[in-house]
Amino acid sequence: MADTLDTVITEGKALPLGPYPRIVTKDFEVPGIDRIEVYRQHGGYAALAKALRDIPPDTLAEEVKKSGLRGRGGAGFATGVKWGFLPKTAPKPRYLAVNCDESEPGTFKDRMIMEVSPHLLVEGTILAAYATHVHHAFIYVRGELAFAGRQVERAVREAYDAGLIGKDILGSGFDLDVTVARGAGAYICGEESALMESLEGKRGYPRLKPPFPAVVGLYGGPTVINNAETVSTLPAIVTLGADAYTAYGTEKSKGTRIFCLSGHVERPGNYELPLGTPMRVLIEDFGGGVRGGKRLKAIIPGGSSTPFLLPEHLDTPLDFESVAAAGSMLGSGGVIVLDEDTCIVAAVLRMSEFYRDESCGKCTPCREGTFWLVQLLERLEHGEGKASDLDLLNDICDNIAGKVFCPLGDAATSSIVSSIKLFRDEYLHHVRAHGCLVGPGARKH
Amino acid sequence: MISDDVKASMRAICAEYPTAQSGMLRCLHLAQETEGYITPAGMRAVAAATGARLDEVESVITFYTMFHREPVGAHVIKVCTSISCYLRGCDDVLAHLEARLGVRRGETTPDGKYTLKTIECLAACGMAPALQVNDEFVENVTTASADALLARLERGEGVAGLGGNWNLDNTHTTGNGAGASSDAARAGARGGKAL
Amino acid sequence: MAEQPREDLVNLTIDGRPVSVPKGSLIWAAARKLGIEIPIYCYHPKMEPLGACRMCFVAVEKMPKLATACTTVVTEGMVVRTDTPAVKKGRQGTLEFLLINHPLDCPVCDKGGECDLQDFTLRHGPGGSRFDVSKRHFAKPIPVSEQILLDRERCIACQRCARFCQSVAMEDGLAMQERGFRTEVGVDPAAPFDSIFSGNVVEMCPVGALTAKSYRFVSRPWELKKTGSVCGLCSVGCNVRVDVRVDKVLRQYSRPNDDVDDGWLCDRGRWELDAINSQERLRTPLIRKDGLLQPASWDEAMRLVAGRLREIAERDGPGAVGGIGSTHTTNEEAYLFQKLLRAGLGTNNVDHHHGRFPAAAPGAVLPWAWTDSIAGLERASDILILGADPYHRQPIVDLRIRKAIRAGARVHIVTPEPNRLDRLAATVLRYTPGHTGEIARALLNVVTAEGLTRGEFAAQRAATVEARRASVANDTPEQVAETAGIESAALRALARDLAGAEAAVILYDEMATREPSGATLAADLLDLALLTGNFGRPGAGVGPLMEDNNSLGARDMGLLPDTLPGYRLVADQDARAALGAVWGATLVGEPGQTYEEMLGGGVKALYVLGADPARHLADAQLTHLNGFEFLVVQDMFLTETARRADVVLPAVAYTEKDGSFTNTERRVQRVRQAMQPLPGAKADWEILVGVARALGLSWRYLTPAEILSEIGRTVPLYAGASRRALGELGACWPLSPGARTPEGRPTVSGSPFLTWEMFERGVAPSGVSGATGAAGPELAVARGREE
Ligand SMILES: Cc1cc2nc3c(=O)[nH]c(=O)nc-3n(C[C@H](O)[C@H](O)[C@H](O)COP(=O)(O)O)c2cc1C
Ligand code: SF4
Ligand code: FES
Repeated sequence: MADTLDTVITEGKALPLGPYPRIVTKDFEVPGIDRIEVYRQHGGYAALAKALRDIPPDTLAEEVKKSGLRGRGGAGFATGVKWGFLPKTAPKPRYLAVNCDESEPGTFKDRMIMEVSPHLLVEGTILAAYATHVHHAFIYVRGELAFAGRQVERAVREAYDAGLIGKDILGSGFDLDVTVARGAGAYICGEESALMESLEGKRGYPRLKPPFPAVVGLYGGPTVINNAETVSTLPAIVTLGADAYTAYGTEKSKGTRIFCLSGHVERPGNYELPLGTPMRVLIEDFGGGVRGGKRLKAIIPGGSSTPFLLPEHLDTPLDFESVAAAGSMLGSGGVIVLDEDTCIVAAVLRMSEFYRDESCGKCTPCREGTFWLVQLLERLEHGEGKASDLDLLNDICDNIAGKVFCPLGDAATSSIVSSIKLFRDEYLHHVRAHGCLVGPGARKH
Repeated sequence: MISDDVKASMRAICAEYPTAQSGMLRCLHLAQETEGYITPAGMRAVAAATGARLDEVESVITFYTMFHREPVGAHVIKVCTSISCYLRGCDDVLAHLEARLGVRRGETTPDGKYTLKTIECLAACGMAPALQVNDEFVENVTTASADALLARLERGEGVAGLGGNWNLDNTHTTGNGAGASSDAARAGARGGKAL
Repeated sequence: MAEQPREDLVNLTIDGRPVSVPKGSLIWAAARKLGIEIPIYCYHPKMEPLGACRMCFVAVEKMPKLATACTTVVTEGMVVRTDTPAVKKGRQGTLEFLLINHPLDCPVCDKGGECDLQDFTLRHGPGGSRFDVSKRHFAKPIPVSEQILLDRERCIACQRCARFCQSVAMEDGLAMQERGFRTEVGVDPAAPFDSIFSGNVVEMCPVGALTAKSYRFVSRPWELKKTGSVCGLCSVGCNVRVDVRVDKVLRQYSRPNDDVDDGWLCDRGRWELDAINSQERLRTPLIRKDGLLQPASWDEAMRLVAGRLREIAERDGPGAVGGIGSTHTTNEEAYLFQKLLRAGLGTNNVDHHHGRFPAAAPGAVLPWAWTDSIAGLERASDILILGADPYHRQPIVDLRIRKAIRAGARVHIVTPEPNRLDRLAATVLRYTPGHTGEIARALLNVVTAEGLTRGEFAAQRAATVEARRASVANDTPEQVAETAGIESAALRALARDLAGAEAAVILYDEMATREPSGATLAADLLDLALLTGNFGRPGAGVGPLMEDNNSLGARDMGLLPDTLPGYRLVADQDARAALGAVWGATLVGEPGQTYEEMLGGGVKALYVLGADPARHLADAQLTHLNGFEFLVVQDMFLTETARRADVVLPAVAYTEKDGSFTNTERRVQRVRQAMQPLPGAKADWEILVGVARALGLSWRYLTPAEILSEIGRTVPLYAGASRRALGELGACWPLSPGARTPEGRPTVSGSPFLTWEMFERGVAPSGVSGATGAAGPELAVARGREE
């Protein structure tokens, strides 16, 4: 695969057309790839064998750092750097938690990995544990994803039976236990510290930071938390080597990632593309463009927690820096497309209801603020709002953002603030005309 | 009934973790699978297995949306109403199901067969609108396919295997052709079938 | 004030003012030190920081976002501002959020006037709310326990109450339920909130969400007179604030004294105030005339008491009169009572109802007392609870044990009945009631027989150890298993745990010493502690948990037939002479009659003060009570004993007088008058002064403070005690006079734990009158066998 690299991306600029290699999902079409025999026939666990045989843990961690891999869970923090925060020695055991809680609206890649190729996830988990000197890893699977959970559980069992997990893995002397944990319906448990609470059998309230998980995490021990896709990328990095991997992507956003395309497009789905691929390529070439030949109205580039972008941003390269420069965030890679017939107020209301319902309720601004925001949006959407509500919404968002306990509260404000900025007239139309610009509007939810 | 076997399974779950309490959510899932919802006996068994106090167990149950605190229908239909499904018409599907079942969201049909609920983004946005019947996915739902779904359930057929209609087809551009056809993609893990 | 060493202090400025605080302090605490108020809801100094309510915003230089003062630890050179526009907006924002769903029902809310939401809104809040949509509603107050109501609408979800139940009380109770804007606190019906610590949540709730039924719609806080005092119920002596409206005690709140109560109060102390407010209380002296108790004047009653006592003492000798004192009255009153009998009537017939401790050995100065402290429990690695039930009898000690458990201590419960701590204990052993003493001996047996003795004490006394081994040679766990029905292997394991403990505390109930097998219980357990090296340092020790608020003080003050105040033997000529000189009397050297002896008819005239022996006597013995030629009872109520009296003198409650109590950890603490005495009744000390004067004694005490100062001069254990020296927090005896404060206030220093040297050498500082200073022989080890 490495021989196609030079044709893909040069100097941080993606070529509009050309081959789009798949690294992480390369074998996802293989029938039966979810079973260990088939997975191994296609080179599965070779990366693990190679690492255990040839690469000492710290070297592997160094290699991951060199690869520039950035977390795929949302924040995009460099994985190798994060591992480096683990203290060299600590009185308590250290743990790894793989975050498979995928619940960000617009995101559906981790579920695919778990359902289609659970062994890829397991192999990545073992590699991550090995590189960070962890001997007990947890895979936290979102509760609703029952089939995904069963797939992962079976893969773990198969790996135990094959001696790929357990004592003295492949004769390397490395011991690892892997336990699959299940969520039970709470978006907040995707947040790393809430995930730890949930894993410990408690309500999913985020924890106070500092101390950060790398220092005091699960059961009080130093803890690494990585997203499912992040660890699933590790086998490829081991196979290709950091140098080859960094040839994909841009200067600061290396490699490929799985973009989840949804909303008003012809062919929604997951597309693994090099970072830096222009949004237009994803939406038009892969996604087949806006459904029914309609015009594009807005794009949410990184899951519902990220601010809106406009059609004029279509050529923005999909990498962390470029999307940020355009005024949004690459987030979890969930690209949501809205066509011209969409009522922005209704869409924002729908997203805001999500945050109201998923707020854990621990901190005041998020608990009470999201409740208030929804009430205001509801009355605006139903033509009963006032023009001054827009300033009020903005000010409530200001009283939430940066003042809450965890990023969920900040996320709840993104679509509101950005939509008022970009679509003020549409809001005001609701006030003036006591109704919607584009259609019947959202039903009460 | 929470049998001794179930209790033993709960203890085994808890033993997989550094602290017994970590088994909480899995034990609660097990209690719910066994009895249909979280009964007082289920709660007590979970408290015993995890070493948590009853009030802690209660506190945990109410935090998570998946635990039913009252009996539910044999088929719990959960329609995703989050943004991507919303954009692709989930509200119509939901309204249609309400009309067909004669209940509103959150309610159970008088015959105890169906409970209709809404749920937050199911990680099926690429196959929106999506819903779950109990914990199994049904995707790309239309009002017509919703009817087909109900017919299927009436016939006593399950829905396992209907979900997972993954499209990761990178062949629509002049791409490198690394991906096989989308049919093959579906066959990859689990055939996503039409209703 | 003792300054911290420099390197442990961190310097910062808040609003431009410099302040130094210990490393690890929170900004909130540093601001408090400067008198700068930072509003808080979720934070509570006794619980881990939570950071949830987002009320305590401050601006910290170089931090991009506002910081929460309750979670941010100070760093050297930190620059904090609490008054920037951003801080004000942040706080206003949070208050506005809290108020959107909070009812504005302050006029009918019990918390009105002492509500943090009300107060902070006034000081930090927005002028009005921009919330013009509909509020969340809940059904009106729901009971969450027998005594507590919950208004969910008023709850601001600060989690204080739930966190108290979960992490401090560690008992079923309030917990957070639901989530997001549906969050509420609640109780699982299957796990009722019946904790004896429940009332703390009412006190902690910053708003009117949790209210006490007993106080609902009763008063506004500004109508209350609030007096700092000490609770008068059990022997813990929690510090309280007594809230009185006109002539009724409405509630007691905690007045934190961390060493004693860590800021908590139990529900008995908080709400069991019926006795004080009772309509049944005596309001006039009664004299038996024509066979009936009839109202009389104080003058008449006191003259009658004095006259009859004198008459009988003169007729049949001083040994014909006696007194039974109280475990509830103040030290001052106990002291005066025995002084009245010893100095006024010339008899040592004075005693009270208490645990049975073998008399102090000749020369030994310290009595049986807990050698460690309540706070010391936190430093124990192991805590043995033998035949005691602190949850019900000394609740706040139980709460401290829970804190010790959180700090890693292992608790071993060995009791006849199930104990509330069982669930959290490392060892739980049951035995047949009445056999506590045998269990103590079995533990000693294992330690000596298996050669598990440890520490210098044992090392230097091989012969003593051998003597002890021999004395308990037959008390093997296997033997005791038969008689006491206890698991022998587990008992053996427990003895080994104690012997191997880093620091163990052994606690037993004072009353267990009254069991048939309990005669040497105190001595045996003291030996167990000594021989296993669990003695003489914080976190290690042994001792009885006392019964009543002043059980220990009563003993200290000499309500015992054989010892003078401070445990000096009546037989001790020097002690008698010294006290006699102060008292202006010649004291008798013969020990007097015991409680049982007097009640059994050993005296003709009996003066019962604040005790109700009828309650403790078997029916057969009760007839003796009718047989006294003259029986006088001084009490708040017409007790069973008082019904049989010839004269009844009405006394007042502890909330109606000044004085001091000594709690189970030997802490002498001031009690303060919180309300007017009930009309017609008098404080016990006042009555005693009256009787003494009627007897012709020249007592001139005008206030309890004068009595306490006399105690400070005459009782070595209490050396230096005075109202001012004890201050707000009290001190554990042995006391010694301390340096004066910069303001010139006298102080005393106390002894949070007792060492063996103290036992041996005695504790009286030289120069105090009555000090014996005699070196004592080995105390328990020698004496345990004398019985
Ligand atoms: C409200 C909230 C929800 C989140 N949900 C997820 C999630 O579902 N999956 C995930 O991997 N990360 C999620 N995250 C990010 C995690 O906190 C964490 O950053 C991530 O798991 C780290 O893995 P990475 O470094 O591999 O990205 C969420 C964060 C927040 C604030
Ligand atoms: S009831 Fe009071 S203390 Fe408890 S969480 Fe609510 S506001 Fe806080
Ligand atoms: S929005 Fe419905 S599955 Fe994501």
